[in-house]
Amino acid sequence: MMGQLLAAMLGTLAFGIVFDVPRREYLFCAINGGLGWLAYLLLGKCGADMALASLGSALILTLTARILSAVRRCPATVFLITGIFTLVPGAGIYYTAYYALMGDLALFTVKGLETFKVAGGITLGIVFGFALPQSWFARLGRAIHDRTAGEKE
Amino acid sequence: MEESQKILKLAVSIGEELLKNGGEIYRVQETIGRVLEAYGMEEYNVFVVSNGIFATVHEDRPDRGSMVRYVPLGKVHLGKVTALNQLSREICAGKYTLEEACEELARCRQMPGVRNLGKLLASGMGCGAFCYLFGGRVREALIAFGLGMLLWMFMQALARGRVSKFLVSILGSVLVTAVSFGLSALGLDIMRDKVVIGAIMLLVPGVPLTTAIRELFSGDYLSGIIHLADALITAACIAVGVGAAVKVFQVFGGMSL
Repeated sequence: MMGQLLAAMLGTLAFGIVFDVPRREYLFCAINGGLGWLAYLLLGKCGADMALASLGSALILTLTARILSAVRRCPATVFLITGIFTLVPGAGIYYTAYYALMGDLALFTVKGLETFKVAGGITLGIVFGFALPQSWFARLGRAIHDRTAGEKE
Repeated sequence: MEESQKILKLAVSIGEELLKNGGEIYRVQETIGRVLEAYGMEEYNVFVVSNGIFATVHEDRPDRGSMVRYVPLGKVHLGKVTALNQLSREICAGKYTLEEACEELARCRQMPGVRNLGKLLASGMGCGAFCYLFGGRVREALIAFGLGMLLWMFMQALARGRVSKFLVSILGSVLVTAVSFGLSALGLDIMRDKVVIGAIMLLVPGVPLTTAIRELFSGDYLSGIIHLADALITAACIAVGVGAAVKVFQVFGGMSL
């Protein structure tokens, strides 16, 4: 479990570097990726299938990205794009292609449908995550920044 | 040039730079509008799609201006998006005159990215980490690390030769699959599927997929469909590349797959 979490954070960080995320946000990108994967693992343990686990973790990722965006004063995309890579169905694409070429139509159909279901789950997670009004996050950001400004004085 | 046209040029240039580097449509649209308002433009129209910006100001006045920019889908540079976002906030707070804002924009444009060596290592690290994450053991992760770096160099070389990005996706996944299956055919005890899954993460269309979802569900259907097509075609290209390499191994390698 710890190894998995560490790998998720490292992978997210690596994609942050590839996409030129500002250096001061590296740690927060990694935290978001780790949280997303933690949610995915926990949902899986509770018996959720891949699509549902993807939905839940995409939702957590999106909400965390928006909170981080308010706190760090940085576009939410920065945290979302890097974090979402843990969920993108790369393995699904691979197995779908593999079984199609091997002529195993049963497994090809299963993997193909699963890939689309996972993509659908990610979609719903992101959409629900952005459905909450921006004003809530803005208020949170202001509350935090006012407090830190007060402490500095 | 009229003052209004200079302002329009600044606003559209900021928008162009945002769009090119991975900003969302609504952010680009909002930013252009805010910058125009910050410099006193009262009446304007802005229309942004994934690969173009159209804007006019002061339609009914003698100092009217209009501008069209074609913005090809490009490389993501989130540092620039963050910097431009900050710049537009500061412009709205009235921190810069028009000339100063143009200088700031030029500075954002030249913002350096991570150096090549860093990107090379990060590519390897990403592939290795994701290989481990998706069920690989340490040895698969190490091979994916090397393969990720190889893939990155391969992609850079192809990009320099102006090869279309779809061909890059196909050839890249052929390379990854061929190396992984080849190593396994040479007798190395590895789970070749996990190595491939880790290494193709560099090609997987995570960014256009995420962008497409957000655009479609905020009503920017045209932009959403452009990005969705980009994501689906890229995914299909990866599938074609993987499939081609697997087939070659199956037919000529005489392997029991």
